Amino acid sequence: MTAMVEERISKIKEIVCEILELDESEVTNTSLFVDDHGADSLGSIEILASLEKAFGVTIEQSELPRMVNLDGVYEVTAEAAGW
Amino acid sequence: MSSPAYAAVRPVITAWSAVSPFGVGRKFFVDGVLAGQPTAAPLDREQWPGPDEQACLVPDFSVKEVLGRKGTRSMDRVTGLAVSTIGQLLHDADGNRVVRTGEESALVLGTTMGSAQSTMDFVRDSFTGGQPHHVDPARMPNSVMNCAAGQCAIWHQLRGPNTTLAGGGAAGLLSLDYARRLLHHGRAGQALVGAAEEYSTARAWLHRHSGGTTVLGEGCAILLVEPAAAVGEGRRPLAEVLAVQSRFYLDADPRRALAASVRDVLTDAGVRQEEVWAAVGSAVGEPGEHEHAQLRALFGDAAVNRMPGADLLGDTGAASSALRIATVLSVAERSAEAAGKLVVLSAVDPYGTAACALLRLAD
Repeated sequence: MTAMVEERISKIKEIVCEILELDESEVTNTSLFVDDHGADSLGSIEILASLEKAFGVTIEQSELPRMVNLDGVYEVTAEAAGW
Repeated sequence: MSSPAYAAVRPVITAWSAVSPFGVGRKFFVDGVLAGQPTAAPLDREQWPGPDEQACLVPDFSVKEVLGRKGTRSMDRVTGLAVSTIGQLLHDADGNRVVRTGEESALVLGTTMGSAQSTMDFVRDSFTGGQPHHVDPARMPNSVMNCAAGQCAIWHQLRGPNTTLAGGGAAGLLSLDYARRLLHHGRAGQALVGAAEEYSTARAWLHRHSGGTTVLGEGCAILLVEPAAAVGEGRRPLAEVLAVQSRFYLDADPRRALAASVRDVLTDAGVRQEEVWAAVGSAVGEPGEHEHAQLRALFGDAAVNRMPGADLLGDTGAASSALRIATVLSVAERSAEAAGKLVVLSAVDPYGTAACALLRLAD
């Protein structure tokens, strides 16, 4: 189970870094996409869409305000997927 | 025809660059034009699994390699071509900014339909994905045809009017005319003007199924156009834009429309046919042969033979007439004889547009 959680977390990080054009070493679980990494609003939509595709889930756009850092993204995705 | 009032602004071309099958930047273009080097080469079939065996590609062009990783993740090829060409124009060889841009800087970019590949990829994802909305939202902007012009403005701080002009093979000349009007009406202080076309598998299939037989090429040429009275510091006119005219034709034969456009530019500028030093067509393949035959009939063989043929770069679609202006400027740069001479440029798009421009090369 832990291995699976780690795998999911690492996949999410990979997606986020690819979209925001960041090195994985630059991003921490709590660093803010917009404030710390200069992301724009389209970036958040891209992350949401990419997660839906990768994990076969549906995430409501109303969840976007919670998806401000990796922890937030994981939480929202986990709820949507029922992990 | 009355002389257009906006001739009063006397637009002049003061700088240019091109990204083409000759290479990235103006120097490669000038050398390639003067060497008369054909650029068609066999395609890597893994990268380009379309109907073509060969094409004229910008050598080793990759958006990420030319522009870097930042901001290019979802940039498509035609956008990369346009952004990098403008980058070349605005900077010197050492990367220093030499042309200032801002609120006063317009961009007029000619296209056929933006990126056919981006449009088709986006639509395909929607059809084949688990859900219709399982598409990459970052690629949505690429599927509209003004994407390249918009990205150019963002990259290079061009905050003046931003125009995308869909005119196929005539787009480069139509853009030049549009830019003249912007300058005349004071909508912009300077205009970057040109056209871009990418090679892609999607475009190759469209070309094939429309009966196209020409070898496809790609590229982008951009000119800096300013009023003669307000040329920026450190620059000088390379050529004056005396007149631009265009016509639509609804039958399959563009000859009358082209003849009328030629007549109109000469009348606008008060120039006699025999004063024209060079006549330059833009189309290639069979349409190009017809266009050039007509120019020969109007201006004589000597005028047509003064410029190298357009076939060197293949069928560059929307970029063709812009690249032909660059060809004229390349020849002018290395030819003392060209100084002060009059040049007619024509373009014929198979979908119903003929256009003509008259330039006077600088003394």
